[in-house]
Amino acid sequence: MSAAIPSVACLGVIGRNNNPLHISIFPSYDPTANAFTPVRNPLQFSLLLSSTIDVFDLRSKNSTASGDFGLLHAIDDRLAAYGFETNTGVRMVCIVDMRGRRVEAGGSAGAGGPSQSSTSTSSSSSAAAAAAARASMSSVGAGLRDAELRPVFRAMQSAYVRLLQNPFYDPDEHAPLGGKGGRRITSKKFGDDMKRIGEGWTPGVTAL
Amino acid sequence: MAASKASRIGEEIWKTRIDKVNAELVTLTYGTIVAQLCKDFEDDYPEVNRQLDKMGYNIGLRLIEDYLAKSNTMKRCSNFRETADMISRVGFKIFLNITPQVTNWTTDNNSFSLVFDENPFADFVELPDDGRAQNELWYSNILCGVLRGALEMVQMQVEAHFISDVLRGNDTTEMRVTLIRYIDDELPPEDD
Repeated sequence: MSAAIPSVACLGVIGRNNNPLHISIFPSYDPTANAFTPVRNPLQFSLLLSSTIDVFDLRSKNSTASGDFGLLHAIDDRLAAYGFETNTGVRMVCIVDMRGRRVEAGGSAGAGGPSQSSTSTSSSSSAAAAAAARASMSSVGAGLRDAELRPVFRAMQSAYVRLLQNPFYDPDEHAPLGGKGGRRITSKKFGDDMKRIGEGWTPGVTAL
Repeated sequence: MAASKASRIGEEIWKTRIDKVNAELVTLTYGTIVAQLCKDFEDDYPEVNRQLDKMGYNIGLRLIEDYLAKSNTMKRCSNFRETADMISRVGFKIFLNITPQVTNWTTDNNSFSLVFDENPFADFVELPDDGRAQNELWYSNILCGVLRGALEMVQMQVEAHFISDVLRGNDTTEMRVTLIRYIDDELPPEDD
């Protein structure tokens, strides 16, 4: 007996000119093939991220003080987009796959995911988190509380801050004044951070 | 002077006689200088290294006076080994609050390495990914100039350069310092 728990399917960073700064896609567990494959192709994820911009715009008129936009829209019964906006207009989007990971009902994380196989240090903690996640999922049924995503956005924001501290990263190049275009983030360190965040998160994780 | 005593002196001065500034201010200011040099010289990294070294040299010429005033040691170092200890445990300690390891001495005691476990200048830094910066730019090269300038003012001509840097993907950040000669008090050139 195994249960499916949510995982991150895609992390996106959108610049203040509505330009894509960064997109990371994470494969989800596919029980029919017993393998990890992304649930959408890169173009579809890109479009999903674009569609969140409208929601950001609508909601920013009565924006929350914290910048946390919570659930932006539920795309289908599997995917849901959550958002966060900084005061400088950089938006971070996390698309969650509600059935992205599988855990054995017995408590041991069976087909846990890439994070559990790759990082041995986090395996015990993520197994515990997975157990906690299943407990919370069964009590509230499907759906995630907005607070569950807060660690993701906090980690993404601090990764972005670290990126900005790099003197060779020129923010103007990535979102020029004038409101048009901008180059993508090419930093390897930032990419690695996003990978770590996307693979490390499951509901119940409090720090990434 | 024993190394442990030098450590004590460094610690003491750092605690009591140094005005502190925010570390990020230093990191970001230095980062901006290097990034701007790269822009101004159109990514001619060897030239950027030279400029950094020159800036450091001019800093060193002045900084030595401050160092001598703060460290309050009127006594000269008796040999180059002692000089190295004082550079690491007093000099770097009071100006950057780090103590690089002094290692890899040559048998003639004229050349050593400073291995930096931490480098406040290089926090957050990721070298440009243009295929050349990783091989050509010595990001913290200003430190070489500082040592060269400072030691020149106390009658030591040295040559200093980096041989590895964690920013380039090396395991350690290591600077090689070589004593060329002690400068004798030179007489003014005679009129013939």
